Amino acid sequence: MGAEIAALMGFFGITGAFALIGTVLAGWMAWRIVEKAGLPGWAGLGSILLSLTAVGAIVPLILLWIFAYMRWPRDEPASASPGYAPSPPRGSPPPTGPVALAPPPAALPDGRGWKLTGVLGNGGTVSLAVYGGPATYALTGALAAAPTDLSVPDPSVGQPHARLMTAGQRLGLEDLGSPGGTFIDGARLLPEHGPRDISAARTIRLGSVELALTRA
Amino acid sequence: MGDPVSWLLGLSAVLLFSVVIGHVLIALLLIIPTWRICQRAGFSGALALFHLVPLIGSFIVMGVLAFSDWPNGEAGPQRPVTGR
Repeated sequence: MGAEIAALMGFFGITGAFALIGTVLAGWMAWRIVEKAGLPGWAGLGSILLSLTAVGAIVPLILLWIFAYMRWPRDEPASASPGYAPSPPRGSPPPTGPVALAPPPAALPDGRGWKLTGVLGNGGTVSLAVYGGPATYALTGALAAAPTDLSVPDPSVGQPHARLMTAGQRLGLEDLGSPGGTFIDGARLLPEHGPRDISAARTIRLGSVELALTRA
Repeated sequence: MGDPVSWLLGLSAVLLFSVVIGHVLIALLLIIPTWRICQRAGFSGALALFHLVPLIGSFIVMGVLAFSDWPNGEAGPQRPVTGR
């Protein structure tokens, strides 16, 4: 009986040892893999150790799917990830000849806004500035009552007439159904069209007021 | 009633089939995300098929990903951001 018990204990001991070694190895490899993707290594180790807890293998499996489809810091532009650097192959000798130049820095974000300029029906001029940050502006024929109101004081312009939206480097325009109509480079924009990207447009027309669109 | 040996053989065949199908289904849950990880790292997605190998398959895939250089580049070591 004693021999059987000893054999059983030995079997479980060996199994346990293999499980321990496997867990440590998997944790180490997971640490290295997530670090190569730009994430902290402990996240990989933690996901492996989670399989030892009551949540079993489900949570690590979910984390594996998240890791596969998430945005990796490695893929971020250099400016957003200061630690990023293409790593040279391990084990390669140090360069002895001319050293390659560092890659150029990422392009600076274009922080310019837009400018709308035009001539009113009464001969006056209008010049409106739209800044680049994410915001929504109302193009209206009334006087500006809010900082986000852009006044085009002309009888043909509705109150409000249209909506301008900025997001990053894009500028959008949405008609609000004013009788005078809204036109992008001569093409009619209807309310049912929804917001349209006018970042590359040259002119927009509100009623009878034509506004030239340029970058500020 | 048939021969008991035939019964046992039939039962074991069904069990074996169920185990294989179950193994493939579970492996699929691992293969799909691992396929994408391998491709993003620059390896062939087919490397993820090692998950079909029982017991050691996952270790082989993880070992390749962990201990070889990624053709698509790796993030550098985590360094604290120092202001200048």
